[in-house]
Amino acid sequence: MTRPDNEDEATVAVIDDDPGIREALRGLLRSVGLHAELFASVQEFLGAARPDLPGCLILDVRLPGRSGLDLQEQLARANVQRPIIFISGHADVPMSVRAMKAGAIEFLTKPVRDQDLLDAIQLAIAKDRARRDEDRTLARYRADFDTLTPRERAVMMLIVVGRLNKQIAAELALSEATVKVHRSNVMRKMRVRSLAELVRIADNLVPAHNRA
Amino acid sequence: MMKLDRGGWFNIRAIAPYAVALASVAAALAGSRWLDIHAVTAPVSLLLCAVMCCAWFGGFGPGVLASILSILAFKYYYAAPLHSLAADVKEIPRLFVFALSALFAGLLSAAQRSAAQSFRRARDDLAGSVQALEQSNTALRTENAERIRAEEALRNAQADLTRVARLTTMGELAASIAHEVNQPLMAVVTNADTCLRWLAKDPPDLDEAREAAKRTVGAGHRASDIIRTIRTLARKSTTEATRFDVNSAISDVLALTSGELQRNDVLLETELSAGLEPVSGDRGQIQQVVLNLTVNAIEAMTAEKHSPRVLRVSSRMAGQQNVLVAVADTGTGLDPTTADGIFDAFFTTKPDGIGMGLSICRSIVEAHGGRLWASPNSPQGSIFRFTVPPAGQRGRK
Repeated sequence: MTRPDNEDEATVAVIDDDPGIREALRGLLRSVGLHAELFASVQEFLGAARPDLPGCLILDVRLPGRSGLDLQEQLARANVQRPIIFISGHADVPMSVRAMKAGAIEFLTKPVRDQDLLDAIQLAIAKDRARRDEDRTLARYRADFDTLTPRERAVMMLIVVGRLNKQIAAELALSEATVKVHRSNVMRKMRVRSLAELVRIADNLVPAHNRA
Repeated sequence: MMKLDRGGWFNIRAIAPYAVALASVAAALAGSRWLDIHAVTAPVSLLLCAVMCCAWFGGFGPGVLASILSILAFKYYYAAPLHSLAADVKEIPRLFVFALSALFAGLLSAAQRSAAQSFRRARDDLAGSVQALEQSNTALRTENAERIRAEEALRNAQADLTRVARLTTMGELAASIAHEVNQPLMAVVTNADTCLRWLAKDPPDLDEAREAAKRTVGAGHRASDIIRTIRTLARKSTTEATRFDVNSAISDVLALTSGELQRNDVLLETELSAGLEPVSGDRGQIQQVVLNLTVNAIEAMTAEKHSPRVLRVSSRMAGQQNVLVAVADTGTGLDPTTADGIFDAFFTTKPDGIGMGLSICRSIVEAHGGRLWASPNSPQGSIFRFTVPPAGQRGRK
C-alpha cells in the first residue's frame, strides 16, 4: 500500500548564520549523496517559500533575528512537520529539553560528530518519509471516501461497526438487495478486498470517538 | 604664702615706676641743689630730665607724678619766696612756663614711649606671623609631596582598574567568544570528517577530498584570526601607538560581540564610511572603547522587554579634523537627572557595575586627543559618540 517517496529527492535545509559551517555541512551531506539547501537565517528560509520539501532541517539554536526554537514553534503552528535537528554552540539543558519536547529529532553540540549528525539525518528523513507516505495514503482514503454517495457512506459506517446486511437494511429502511449493491460499490470505490481493510481505513479516516 | 608673695611682687611691679619717679626727681633736685650751692645758678633742666626719664621708663602716671613733684620742688627751691610753697605773683609766669615745660616733656616722653611700645608689639606680631607662615609653608610642602604620591597611586590604581574592567568585560563576553571560536572549529571538524569520507570511498574521490581539505584550512585560519583579535583585546595595556583603520578595529569588535547580539535578539546595523582617514594611537584601547559602548548598549536594550532592539554603529569623517564613531541603541536611554555624571568614575546604574567603564573610555579617548559624549537617541535609547583626530592631525604629547 505505501509507496516509496520517489517523486521528491530528500533535501536537507541547513539554517546557520555562519557561512563556513553552512559550506562544511553541504560538503558532508554531498559525501553521503544528500542534497543541501543553505539559508543564513530563518527569514531567508521562510522567504524561500518551500518549507515543506521532503527531508529535514538542521537548525542553529542561536540565529539572528529569530531563534531556531521560535522557528520550530512557528513551523508547528503552520503544520509544517519537517523533522528538525538542532545544533547548538553550547550544551544548554533547558533549551535542549524544550526542543526535544517540541518534537526535535536530535539536539547536537558543536562541533558535531559527523556520524551522529548523519544518523540523525537518516532518522529524520526516514521519519519524514513515513509521515509523508502516511499523509499521502490518508489523502487517498479521503479522496476515495469523497466519491461515495451519502447513502453509500451510511452503509459503510454500519458495515465497519460489524452490522449484517439484514440489520443495515432494517436500519436504513432498504431492501437487503439494495444494501448488497451499496456494499459492493463501497468496496470497489474504497479499493479494498476485505472487510478488515475497510475497517482499518475507516479507523484512519474517522477518529474512534466520532463513530456511532 | 605663694599667693601673698605673688601679690606683693605684682604690687611692687605696679608701684616701682612711681617710686623711681620719686627717686629720680629727688636725685635731680639733689643734683641741682648741689650745683646751685657750689657752682653757678640753678640748672632746673635737671628736673625736666628727671620728668622725661620717668615718663620714658614709667609711662604716663609716673611722668605726671614726676612733673608735679618737679613743679613743687621748683616752686619750693627756685621761685620767690624761696623755701615756701606759697607763690609770689611776680614768679607765676616763670612757674607757669616751668610747669608747662615739665608737663610737655612728660607727655611727649610718655607718647614716645607708647609709640615705641606699640612699634615693639607690631614687630613681635610680625615675627609671630612670619613664624606661622613658615610653619604653614612646611605643612604645605609635606602635603604637596603626599599629594604627588597619592596621585601616582591613583594613576596606578586606575591602570589596574582599566585592566580589571577590561577583563571583567572579557569575562562577560567569554561565553560569546567561546561561541565565536567554536563556529570555525565546527567547520574544521566537519570538513575534515568529510575529507576522510571522500578518501574512504572506493575509489577515493580526490577532488572532493581536496576541496574539503581546503575548506578545513580556511576554517582553521578563521579560528586563529578570532583568537588573535581576542589576544589584542586582552593584552595588558602597554600603550603602543600605531596607525590603524578605525573601521577594521570596529569590525573586529563587532565580530566578537555578534554572539552576544544574537543571544539577546539585537539587530546590528553598521554604516562604516569608506573614506575614513587612518588614526594614530593604541588600536586595542580604541577597541576597548567600542567594546564597552557596545556592551553597554546591549545591556541597555535587554534591561527591558521591548522591541525593536537595534544597535547601530557608524563611522564617518567629521570635517577634516576628526574621525567620528557613533554607537546608538534603542534601549532605556539616559536619565536626564544623572546624565551629566555618567562619565564620572564609580558612577553606575548597574546593580553589579563598578562604574569605571565610561570613565575609562573617556580617558582613553581624551588621551588620543578626542572627545566622548552622549546624547539621547530618537525615538528612544541613547547615542554615544567619540572622535579621534586622523594620524596627520594629531597634536598629542
